[in-house]
Amino acid sequence: MSLSKRQRANLLRYFVYAATLIALALLIFIVDWSKLSNAMFKWRIIKEQFPDILTKAARNTLIFTFFGFIGGLGLGLILALMRLSKVRPYRWFAATYIEVLRGIPLLVTLLILGFGVPIATGWTWPNMYVQGAAPLALVAAAYIAETIRAGIEAVPRGQMEAARSLGMSYSRAMITVIIPQAFRIILPPLTNEFVLLIKDTSLISVLGVTEGTRDLAQFGRDGVGKFANATPLVVAGLVYLILTLPLTQLVAYMERKAKRVRR
Amino acid sequence: MKRFRTVAATFAAVALVLSACSDDSESMDETTTTSAESTFETISDGKLTVCTDSPYEPFEWQDDDGNWTGFDIDLLTAVADEMGGLTLEVIDQPFEGIWLAPAAKKCDIVGSAMTITEERQEAALFSDPYFNADQSLLVSADQAETLVDAASLAGKTIAVQSNTTGETYANENFTDSTIKSFADATALFLALESGQVDAALQDLPVNADRAMKNTELAISATFTTGEQYGFAVAKDNTALIEAVNAGLAAAKSSGDYAEIYKKYFGVDPE
Repeated sequence: MSLSKRQRANLLRYFVYAATLIALALLIFIVDWSKLSNAMFKWRIIKEQFPDILTKAARNTLIFTFFGFIGGLGLGLILALMRLSKVRPYRWFAATYIEVLRGIPLLVTLLILGFGVPIATGWTWPNMYVQGAAPLALVAAAYIAETIRAGIEAVPRGQMEAARSLGMSYSRAMITVIIPQAFRIILPPLTNEFVLLIKDTSLISVLGVTEGTRDLAQFGRDGVGKFANATPLVVAGLVYLILTLPLTQLVAYMERKAKRVRR
Repeated sequence: MKRFRTVAATFAAVALVLSACSDDSESMDETTTTSAESTFETISDGKLTVCTDSPYEPFEWQDDDGNWTGFDIDLLTAVADEMGGLTLEVIDQPFEGIWLAPAAKKCDIVGSAMTITEERQEAALFSDPYFNADQSLLVSADQAETLVDAASLAGKTIAVQSNTTGETYANENFTDSTIKSFADATALFLALESGQVDAALQDLPVNADRAMKNTELAISATFTTGEQYGFAVAKDNTALIEAVNAGLAAAKSSGDYAEIYKKYFGVDPE
């Protein structure tokens, strides 16, 4: 039997479609839907989650993420520049910082900074937002620094040479020529950082939560305890998704725009 | 503190019922106690065999040399001694349904930090309560005299464990304080030691254990909740439970009970 290349490709595609359909059918038959919806999608409980899950829990998650990201971005930029600096101690410091903060689990960093700093200095964190967002920013900075460094290194060397030959100082060329181009390159990985950060905020609750500072994940967990049902956790998961989707769409739009500009 | 939480979650509602009828639970033995010297039998001669779910500090665990120790173990050793010089034999048994073990002749008695509940009373015969699972306040040692109640903690922050009876108690009784919930006991104690919170409110044994290990912390107050621990024997073994209750009473009057209590919880029994 001889099939042309196209016929073979079509046959394979039909086979994949059929396999997918069979898998879906099996899923529908195997899964005990009434049991599942009873345990995880109870409409009565879903309704009870609103509006607090948006007005309080999602709000807190966004506050933690926002300050964590802004702090991480600023500090990360400084660290990236130190990492590329000609001054050796700067390079050493940045490299050590990045390796240490990147290598320790966020959960442990949260505990060490959240409680270790007050124990060591006698100074107590003014509120939960600072106590939670500061360690988050410090860790995010380590990751973001490496992303920014890769972006700066990806800008063609000729850009810096051209800028310098026009009489710009090193720092001026960096700020006005290199870094803007670098940020265009690192937009996708930076979005990744942001999305990861949204979900990392769920660890902050280890420092303790009050009625007003509960984040999404903790809100879901407390709901599970309150209703003795997993529905609140599922709803919290969906709200995380709702938070990230517009963001990733926005970045996709910015990328398209950036591509048009470059052409 | 898994068991506290299971107990807390499952029996939070039952605790209310229990506190309402805890007086009855003490007189569950038939009132016709004919003779003080009732004859009881144990599954092996000269020994009182106890089922326990270890480790569960400070109630039962094996030390580094494998010796059984803990509040339950020490108290039962004293009780067994009062019951005609019996020695204690310990069997490690998972907590799920442990109160059914005596009926299955696995052991004579269950001593495993077990709360007396109506549900369990239907399946086993409980001794008189030997421990009140009270809530307590753990504070920095230099504030043990000042932070003692809701009034003194108004405007301050209290740490509790999420989804425990302690959290419920705090929300109901410390309405002027900020209640901060922790999923994790490690973080809760760190928060207290670092001054991020002013007090920790939770089960007395847990706080007491910490206060014993860290002298900078102290228990400033305890609160009765109505939850009580009891030993349990097979449902029909009235003779044994009478002997155990007599032994328990003797241990209390001789001062052994107070001594053991102080050893594990650092405070005198109320």
